[in-house]
Amino acid sequence: MTTHDPMDREELEVDSTRYETEIPRRSLRPFPGLPDRREVRAFIPGTIVEVRAREGERVSPGQVLLLLDAMKMHNEVCSEIQGRVRSVMVRRGDRVEKNQILVSLEECQ
Amino acid sequence: MSVISRINEFLARASRLLLGGGKEALESQKKKGKLTVRERLDLLLDQGSFIETDLFVEHSAQDFGMSAKKLAGDGVVTGIGRVDRRPVAVFAQDFSVAGGSLGRAHAGKITKMMDCARDMLIPLIGINDSGGARIQEGVDSLCGYGEIFYRNTQLSGVVPQLSVILGPCAGGAVYSPALTDFVFVVDRVSNMFITGPQVIKAVLGEEISPEDLGGAMTHASITGNAHFYARSEAEAFEQVRSLLSYLPPSSQELPPEAPPRPPKKPVSPDIIPDDRRRAYCVKEVIRGLVDGSDFLEVHEHYARNIVTGFARLGGRSVGVIANQPRVLAGVLDVDASDKAARFIRFCDAFNIPLLTLVDTPGYLPGVNQEHMGVIRHGAKLLYAYSEATVPKITVIMRKAYGGAYIAMCSRHLGAGFVVAWPSAEIAVMGSEGAANIIFRKEIEESPDPEATRREKIREYEEKFANPYVAAGKGYVDAILLPQQTREVLVSVLAVSRNSTHSMPLRRHGNFPV
Repeated sequence: MTTHDPMDREELEVDSTRYETEIPRRSLRPFPGLPDRREVRAFIPGTIVEVRAREGERVSPGQVLLLLDAMKMHNEVCSEIQGRVRSVMVRRGDRVEKNQILVSLEECQ
Repeated sequence: MSVISRINEFLARASRLLLGGGKEALESQKKKGKLTVRERLDLLLDQGSFIETDLFVEHSAQDFGMSAKKLAGDGVVTGIGRVDRRPVAVFAQDFSVAGGSLGRAHAGKITKMMDCARDMLIPLIGINDSGGARIQEGVDSLCGYGEIFYRNTQLSGVVPQLSVILGPCAGGAVYSPALTDFVFVVDRVSNMFITGPQVIKAVLGEEISPEDLGGAMTHASITGNAHFYARSEAEAFEQVRSLLSYLPPSSQELPPEAPPRPPKKPVSPDIIPDDRRRAYCVKEVIRGLVDGSDFLEVHEHYARNIVTGFARLGGRSVGVIANQPRVLAGVLDVDASDKAARFIRFCDAFNIPLLTLVDTPGYLPGVNQEHMGVIRHGAKLLYAYSEATVPKITVIMRKAYGGAYIAMCSRHLGAGFVVAWPSAEIAVMGSEGAANIIFRKEIEESPDPEATRREKIREYEEKFANPYVAAGKGYVDAILLPQQTREVLVSVLAVSRNSTHSMPLRRHGNFPV
């Protein structure tokens, strides 16, 4: 591939045959990797109304870590894994952005 | 040749064929933690009910040394059996025979069963465990796939089609399950992808394990390709049997009725929290309303902000669609709309009334959602509800705002009976947003804008965040207490029939996909 400009002609090799073609920018986006379930993130911007998770505490899947006020709701933000709370990155009253890491967990039985 | 020797020859031939790929291949199947094809059919079907067809079918391929090869049953077992005494047509691919690869004869056996399901008007159950196309048969195997896809489409909405993925299902083969109504996957047994991890690594340099790319949980939770996830094959067949108990054998019949049973734990009068911003689990509401508190969830792990599944009300099957406030605040988004729309269309095709439980703050805002096409995906929900002619009953439990109120089977989309609980909030938008727009000037000009804003929000809330405005206009038929609701739903359902309101003359609608 020569350029990332979507309007430029490029060459694509399929089964050792080269095809001249156009490649839309969207298909050039790299795969970002699977989400890391140890990082608990905000699904939407909002305000932290309650922090239940304490550092060092053991948690299990479905356990509520904190409450996030957004979309007319106090949303329960839960752990998806069996593990331990490594650090709590927010405090009550904090405004958080979308995708911001709220709690970091480590896996353990 | 004497009759007895002919009989012996038949028995010898049959027992050879019943062994599939032979002892070693079957052992290798077991070593992978998988059941054999015969064990699977035993788990699925009522004991002794299986009538096998085409055991003696052989392939007629010549190239690449195929003429000398005997493949038992050509790698697939087909026939008619019974599940809880009700007939079903079945095909089950046998990985022990040439990797369950699909050639012309193999496909022919499957399409024969599909035609049988069509003619007898009984459900079709496929068990997929195949390495893919039989390369030695070339375009003949492509013909086989194409003929299966064609029939999947023809059967769609005629008889229920179930796909149980119990092994690899890759390349073009995955499109048959995708065309069917329900896909079942099993942890560490099922694998589905169009291109596998090796091809992806070679072409794009992206590395991912087969399990992460197309394993059972991936399809149950991320892609939504699978509707039912099980930890074992036995559990998957239990799910199949349970699902079939709610379904009619074809769209020509009504679902079977069961004796009515009260819920084990009736819905509590205070199920909706005092604090209107607090979450609760909508599955508790569903279980509190339906017979025996039995709820068979569909797509349990996918788009969990909306809950879909089958239950009974007074003995009759219903399809339940409910916002889940516990997940993503119960918002509607691309995946939730997609999930619910497909479920609604299935229920409508098979005469299963719809029960919709509403508590949603609206559509999820975000660049991502907009660029993923929330407009056209969200439109599916409107289309599916509007198009459905089965009885449609709606219960508005709490929040029903704006476009989401309309979309969740409002009277305006043809709901036959709309109930609201006293906790319902039916309005054009949330109090905060509405007050900010309507009273913008007053808020701006106030000496204390924050205090005025709070006051106006409260004012709007008091006036509009309730069920009475909508009920006053007849958009809501009845306001009921949670604990009265089940009895009324059962009575309403008992007198409801499919709508006979005729559709405009057309070849078919253009469903937004």
